[in-house]
Amino acid sequence: MTNSTRTSLLATVAVLAALAGQSALADTSGKRIALSNNYAGNSWRQAMLRSWEKVTGAAVADGTVAAADAFTTAENQVTEQAAQIQNLILQGYDAIVLNAASPEGLNGAVKEACDAGVTVVSFDGIVTEPCAWRIAVDFKQMGKDEVLYLAERLDGGNLLEIRGLAGVFVDDAISAGIHEGVAETGKFEIAGSVHGNWAQDVSQKAVAGILPSLPDIVGVVTQGGDGYGTAQAFAASGREMPIIVMGNRHDELTWWKEQKDANGYETMSVSIAPGVSTLAFWVAQQILDGADVPKDLTVPFLRIDQDTLDESLANTEPGGVANVEYSLEDAQEVIKAAGM
Amino acid sequence: MSALAKFGKQPWLWAWVGAIAVWAATAAYTGGTGSGQVMSAALTFGAFFVIVALGQMFVITLGPGNVDLSVPACMTLAGTVAMKSMDGSGAMLPLGLLLALAIGLSVGAINYSLIRLLRIPPIIATLSSSFIYQSAAIWWNRGLRVKPPTELAEFTTAKIAGIPVIALCVVVLAAIGHVVLTRTLYGRGVIAIGQNPRAAHLAGVKVERIRAATYMLSATLAGLCGYLLAGFSGGAALNMGEEYLLSSIAVVVIGGTSVAGGYANVPGLWGAALFLFLLVTMLNTMGAGAGVRLVLTGLIIIGVIVAASGGKRTT
Repeated sequence: MTNSTRTSLLATVAVLAALAGQSALADTSGKRIALSNNYAGNSWRQAMLRSWEKVTGAAVADGTVAAADAFTTAENQVTEQAAQIQNLILQGYDAIVLNAASPEGLNGAVKEACDAGVTVVSFDGIVTEPCAWRIAVDFKQMGKDEVLYLAERLDGGNLLEIRGLAGVFVDDAISAGIHEGVAETGKFEIAGSVHGNWAQDVSQKAVAGILPSLPDIVGVVTQGGDGYGTAQAFAASGREMPIIVMGNRHDELTWWKEQKDANGYETMSVSIAPGVSTLAFWVAQQILDGADVPKDLTVPFLRIDQDTLDESLANTEPGGVANVEYSLEDAQEVIKAAGM
Repeated sequence: MSALAKFGKQPWLWAWVGAIAVWAATAAYTGGTGSGQVMSAALTFGAFFVIVALGQMFVITLGPGNVDLSVPACMTLAGTVAMKSMDGSGAMLPLGLLLALAIGLSVGAINYSLIRLLRIPPIIATLSSSFIYQSAAIWWNRGLRVKPPTELAEFTTAKIAGIPVIALCVVVLAAIGHVVLTRTLYGRGVIAIGQNPRAAHLAGVKVERIRAATYMLSATLAGLCGYLLAGFSGGAALNMGEEYLLSSIAVVVIGGTSVAGGYANVPGLWGAALFLFLLVTMLNTMGAGAGVRLVLTGLIIIGVIVAASGGKRTT
């Protein structure tokens, strides 16, 4: 092969490759997307940021978008995040993917972004400003699903409810779903309720305190991040282990697996995958690409059952949360589902 | 003054009265079922409070403006680094403990340098440095929960005749703290500085040396608490210390130590730690909603502090 034919062959391949890349995603290759994140101090948020890095890094490398930078505020403060959003507008980002410190507090800054022609996609911690897109979680359904699962497994009895952080809407929503489920199935009674703040040690402490005063507990409904602490408190009390619904954390899944191997313990686990940040990224990319995207989208749950436990645990990194990273196709599916 | 009247004036008395009253109320509500287990749980969790509160007490006693806000971050950093270094191996147990204590010691040294060399007020210095410690913890293991060695988990959850071993150890630790506070040159120095730093200096107290030691003591105890708590709750987590910021201060104040400094006592720490745990347990048991619970917690704490500060203070 001569030098010139080799060059022309290579050139053809390069042009073909560029064409293939362009045909789907040409419109956003010059666009820059920023992630504005309000908090990074727990394992869920850490996994969220890592997923973002992984998926957007690949998207930048193959030229889908020009940049996808992540910014996290230090203090989880509305004012700080508002200032951050203003900076991102000035830096000329085309879209801001937002996990907000407050549903209303950032509306002013979000409006400024929209007025400056910046696309704002909020997820997890969503904002109410109408010009922004919202990828929300149906937390109420999540709480209800837990009770429906217990209703399948049990004939009835007393439940213990572990709640999250008092005053946060997520806590109210999950709890409302749980109570609705209890009312609908009509065979359970919530014998006790404690606030575990989504932290294993806080839950352990709260459960250890209330447990001695409770009747027999057949099931524990949780909000995630509290199942392992609850199990520890039950183990220490010497009571029979109830069905504790887990929240996809690595420590919870590990404990479940140990119990499953030791005595066939059965439960289920449900939460939101931290990779939802990547779903928001693709939604932002689709909007920039000119796709018609409804303003309100819903995040799918990530549910783990007895038969998917081993696989999910193997794919969850130690200390992290069971995760899936979303692809462009997943985002298009979610958009299509919301449009119907 | 009769012995009984003198006893009634002890500043730590009210925390204990509160703890016992709340425990009795819980027992009455449940008809006595499980009140022994409730007390056992209170002793376990109270022990963790007492460890950090002991250090915080010495710091607060140094006088107005002295407080260590880096307690949660220090606990988290010490807990995560120790758990990761031991990686579940029992043979590494002493090394992990040494690491946790060394981290605490360094954290205290850094805090004090900020306060002394850069002349930053302690509240700002310890708060801002805690961001660095927390970030270091995040950087070190990215939120991984590494399981503690079985031996450590067993030690922190062990019981002798229903009494948690860790509570017994912390009672001994508190007793040592009491002796240090009331019987040593260092302890008297801390109290003297809290009452009047200038007078203490003129009386020959090495003011800055004692302040340095106090901040290092506080952070070292926080490191120890992080180590034990990580062992107890099945691994270190990034948010494991969160609760201990306000609690460590609340336990000190409810226990009858003066917020203005200069007066401190150790028995009150245990009373206050039990009181705080039992109070939340009582309200949980009675099924109070989160709002009611927080309001009542606030009101009852104010009540105990007012009652405790009614009498004349003695150290």
